[in-house]
Amino acid sequence: MPKLTLRGAAALALLAAAPGPASANVSPLDIVQPVADYKIYVSEKLDQLVTDTKAFTDAVKAGDVETAKRLFPSTRMSYEAVEPIAELFSDLDASIDSRADDHEKAEEDPGFIGFHRIEYGLFSKNSAEGLGPVADKLMADVTDLQSRIENLVLPPEKVVGGAAALMEEVAATKISGEENRYSRTDLWDFQANFDGSRKIFDLVRPLIQTDDAAFVAKVDASFDTVDETLAKYREGDGFKLYEALTDDDRRVLAANVNTLAEDLSTLRGKLGLD
Amino acid sequence: MSAPRCPAHGLVTDRRRLLLGLGLGAAAAAACPAGAASLAGNEAADAPESADANAAVSFYGRRQAGIVTPRPAAGMIASFDTLARTPEEVERLFRLLTERFAFLAAGGPVPELDPKLPPLDSGILGPVVPPDRLTMTLSLGASFFEDRPWAAQLKPARLSRMTKFANDALDADLCHGDLSVQICANTPDATIHALRDLIKQAPDLLLIRWKQEGTVPILPPRPDGRTESARNFLGFRDGSANPDSRDEPLMERVVWTRGGENGEPAWTTGGSYQAVRIIRNFVERWDRTPLGEQERIMGRLKASGAPMTGTDEADLPDYAGDPDGALTPLDAHIRLANPRTPGSEASLMLRRPFNYSNGVTKNGQLDQGLLFIAYQADLEAAFVAVQKRLDGEPLEEYVKPVGGGYFFTLPGVEAPGDYLGRPLLEAASA
Repeated sequence: MPKLTLRGAAALALLAAAPGPASANVSPLDIVQPVADYKIYVSEKLDQLVTDTKAFTDAVKAGDVETAKRLFPSTRMSYEAVEPIAELFSDLDASIDSRADDHEKAEEDPGFIGFHRIEYGLFSKNSAEGLGPVADKLMADVTDLQSRIENLVLPPEKVVGGAAALMEEVAATKISGEENRYSRTDLWDFQANFDGSRKIFDLVRPLIQTDDAAFVAKVDASFDTVDETLAKYREGDGFKLYEALTDDDRRVLAANVNTLAEDLSTLRGKLGLD
Repeated sequence: MSAPRCPAHGLVTDRRRLLLGLGLGAAAAAACPAGAASLAGNEAADAPESADANAAVSFYGRRQAGIVTPRPAAGMIASFDTLARTPEEVERLFRLLTERFAFLAAGGPVPELDPKLPPLDSGILGPVVPPDRLTMTLSLGASFFEDRPWAAQLKPARLSRMTKFANDALDADLCHGDLSVQICANTPDATIHALRDLIKQAPDLLLIRWKQEGTVPILPPRPDGRTESARNFLGFRDGSANPDSRDEPLMERVVWTRGGENGEPAWTTGGSYQAVRIIRNFVERWDRTPLGEQERIMGRLKASGAPMTGTDEADLPDYAGDPDGALTPLDAHIRLANPRTPGSEASLMLRRPFNYSNGVTKNGQLDQGLLFIAYQADLEAAFVAVQKRLDGEPLEEYVKPVGGGYFFTLPGVEAPGDYLGRPLLEAASA
């Protein structure tokens, strides 16, 4: 069977927005600079995460529930923005960001620790009682994550694949508002996930802008729609609760997440990465 | 992995041959003693085979396929919301669906892309998609029209949002939708393949709301060549009183909407109203009910499907000779549904249901039932009227409708180049 190129298959409507051939115009060397720039972005996010987590866990340990609640959603954002990289260390991702349903006894499971265990205490029980050791462990894990990533050579395919991976995460486990189920601050996470994905796309954009302008424009349009939709829910320096999201806007977000996941799934191939 | 195959069955897989270190002849000989060409000679994990997988139902026709088409063994209803709002976006959606429906119904090779890219197709039916008698049928819900100002005036006259009947316990997550796609095929794998194709091809246009799959039991052919209605999960023949889908004049009256009549917009000609109901059956309780009571509740004999007043499934029930319900109780399911009184033919519809089996409820009972699908020219005169007559029937103790919706099935596409929904869009721009 002949292999189709996108241009050769233009008659097929289904391919109109589908991937072209893996780009022959991108050499492995071209990827070096975007990956290096991304490493800097990740480092900055982790610096921010460590700083914010310190303030957050200090408030938890001091029993200052109101301050801890206020810091919870913004603290998570730098983690969510680089989640595909953080997830390279599955032990830390489990202890930092696992949810109650990842554990057999759910909220009561002693293995349920990290951000969401603290979230459960703060928002469901309105209390920081007993959260001191969980806060200490979270701080230690976040610091550990920072030092491990500091020494990590980022695999280019993981960096580029991260743009789609973030969208897959949102599509599979977040769009329903299940991530921050006690605090309902999911829109903060959404914004961070989209920002993190778009950062990767922006870094590699120069490599595909010329050869694949239609693709770039389509992805940009999806990101723009997401940003405009989320902007309707901005409040103060953050976002309204997930419940404020209308059905129509949830559908717009979901469709754009799915579309970005489809489109960005071709990004590795377009850059010649396996 | 495929095993070496008998020559009569086809090819030997290269990889398998390499693994075995055998040449083609040796592998074939090892697997096929004495000319055996039956399934019995196959390896445990070999794919079951059916020549009917090559059979195709044409997508093209004045009416959509999947309505008067003989029902295959597997069916699904998938309900979607759509983000297409303007006529231009809706046209893009309809053209895309038309193109996918036509390809999937005909089957054929999937274009190959560079392996660094995700493949275009899930691949679950292989690189060459077999048609497998697949039909895909597109219908629009009331919300499609009501949420689009340019379409509101063109809504089919009887299309409404399904409302609760007395015995319903509707789950909002299993109801309604901007559009439904009915997918039928010989095998569930073909319907799943088609669904995944739509989801992959239209992420920016379609969001799935719910889906329900079902099956129909396959029977061995009868020696006398006669056919019979398939059984539902209550063990009763379902469809015995269906109007004959091969009778075109009858279908013209019962199933197909006529634009310009009964207040219907002109564009609706050749369409139909689709009523979908997900009806849970309490099968454990039903199986603990005496046979005689089951038959009185249904109004038919369980083994033969004959009415209480007859001996054969095809016999017509004699209600005139049984005015007090001594044989067929007055509240028996079939008697309420179709009393066969003057005027009751107005409530005829073409039922095309599938049985579903979903898992186990939290009470430890089987979650099984009927994916009821019916087509009719007039939703209110047919399904809605019949369901109202059934309110309070004794069968309600054993069934609980939990989902579904009403949709309007678009007219068909007669030839390549045309697309589903064109009459609606042309009416909108007129």
